[in-house]
Amino acid sequence: MAIKQKLSEGALTKLFITIVMLLLAVVMVIPFLWMISTSLKTPAEVFEYPIKWIPPHPTFEHHVKVWTGPKSFGTYYLNSLKIAIVGMVTATFLSAFAAYGFARISFKGRNPLFMLYLSMMMVPPQVLFVPKFLMFDWAGIYNTHWALILPGMFTIFGVFMLRQFFLTIPNEITESAFIDGAGHFRIFFRLILPLAKPALATLAIIDFSWQWNDYENALVFLIDEDLYTVPLGLQNFILENTVDYNGMMAAASAGIVPMIAVFVIGQRYIIQGLTNSAVKG
Amino acid sequence: MNNNWMRRQRMLGYVFIGPSMLGVLLFFLIPAAYSLGLMFTDYKLMNPNVKFVGLDNIVRLLKDDMFYKSMKNTALFLLAVPVSVVLGFLVAVVLNQKIYLKKLLRGLYFMPYITSGVAVAFVWMLLFHPKQGPINGLLRSIGVDNPPGWLSTTTSSMFAIDIIWIWFLLGYNMIIYLAALQEVSQELLEAAKMDGARPGQILRSIIWPLVSPTTFLLLITGLIMTIKTFGIIQAITQGGPGSSTTILSLYVYQNAFRYYDMGYASTLSWALFIVILIITALQWVGQKRWVHY
Repeated sequence: MAIKQKLSEGALTKLFITIVMLLLAVVMVIPFLWMISTSLKTPAEVFEYPIKWIPPHPTFEHHVKVWTGPKSFGTYYLNSLKIAIVGMVTATFLSAFAAYGFARISFKGRNPLFMLYLSMMMVPPQVLFVPKFLMFDWAGIYNTHWALILPGMFTIFGVFMLRQFFLTIPNEITESAFIDGAGHFRIFFRLILPLAKPALATLAIIDFSWQWNDYENALVFLIDEDLYTVPLGLQNFILENTVDYNGMMAAASAGIVPMIAVFVIGQRYIIQGLTNSAVKG
Repeated sequence: MNNNWMRRQRMLGYVFIGPSMLGVLLFFLIPAAYSLGLMFTDYKLMNPNVKFVGLDNIVRLLKDDMFYKSMKNTALFLLAVPVSVVLGFLVAVVLNQKIYLKKLLRGLYFMPYITSGVAVAFVWMLLFHPKQGPINGLLRSIGVDNPPGWLSTTTSSMFAIDIIWIWFLLGYNMIIYLAALQEVSQELLEAAKMDGARPGQILRSIIWPLVSPTTFLLLITGLIMTIKTFGIIQAITQGGPGSSTTILSLYVYQNAFRYYDMGYASTLSWALFIVILIITALQWVGQKRWVHY
């Protein structure tokens, strides 16, 4: 009897804590809920208080406005996708390549070079904006997508993260292959890459989200509207429609909803990757 | 296996890191060196006659009121980091208990970190709308007659940005703490409970000291990441009203790409680097001093 009571008391506490945490979690995601709800409302309903979470007269006209017309988000989407995907694929592959070199090959100057690598993480992007702007202008890639794609192919964080992962792969696995006469290329492509799939997926997802959300570089290196990425297009939309709050939220949804999807699908990888690189780093 | 083959295999190290090294050279090292040089010139985009001006830019920086103002604003912005670290810790401790829907909850708290860029800043801009926004609507409905102006007044704007930033960072801190809490020995906690320690005591005297390396790491990485950010501020306030949200990183951007004063912008950007260097140095010193295991 006493045990039974204690058990149900435990379950009750558990339920109570769960509900409290759930309520707080809802507060965390309220900006997203409000955004989606507002994007479906009519202008008069935007600031009605108390908030009607379910739009009384749902309309898709704001989403239609964002996606059609001369400044459609379609263009921005294609630009962002192009930049983020090319950057993500190249950056992941090149990082894996370099990480293998740093983790598994003992060549002369490896450690100083790796220190140099890490020290570059301390240099803030603000130091690099002006010289990159001048260099890109000189090379003729200022105000082209190359100004985002080329630097986006390299990520110091990625090299660091994958190196940490490669160091956790037991040495015996690669050593026995090495003794059997397999070279580093074969070991890398046949053994390491397949083993590293989860880590590669993690880096790819994180890198994609960074490139997709990157506003600062696009702001500095792009001028032409037809080159704009989603964050710049969004800013432009807001500057040109200062009182169209529904439209703003429809436009913001266009920027955020794909990231929510990526997050829901890749949550496991993202959390694991960030945890590993922080705790073991 | 002959020695020749072994040596060739070792040389492959340069092939593996080569492409990535080229990127670091082109997009980090050379620009950084270029920027160091620009610091000693009066280079302006509109003026092709570049002069070497020695330390003039540094003298100008030391006399620039706006530089000090931007440092103050940066400090206010950085306040968000310790707050979000402590909140992240508390949420992690609760989520680490036996509760239902653990994974869903973890995901919800973490969502802002991964999904938000500039887009979500615009959502906050409307949520904070001083006259009609839902936040002040709520405050008025619970009896606050004069709710803050949030992003619209010089005294409250930096704190409104802090709230957005705490919201953004909290989930990341929570995730890292959740991993650290896995390492805390359950036996130790059980023993403390047996000895009659209250939950608050356990939290303060056992768990908090045990996760201090994580706290330290999160503080340092959070501070460095925050100090480099200016995107959300540029997007929603452009440093205003007045210059109340012009943090140092944004001030660099304004000098470079609003006034095209490249020499001075480079000087300011190295001041930013020095602040990062100081935080990193704190990390080296502090790791030994303040971290208790």
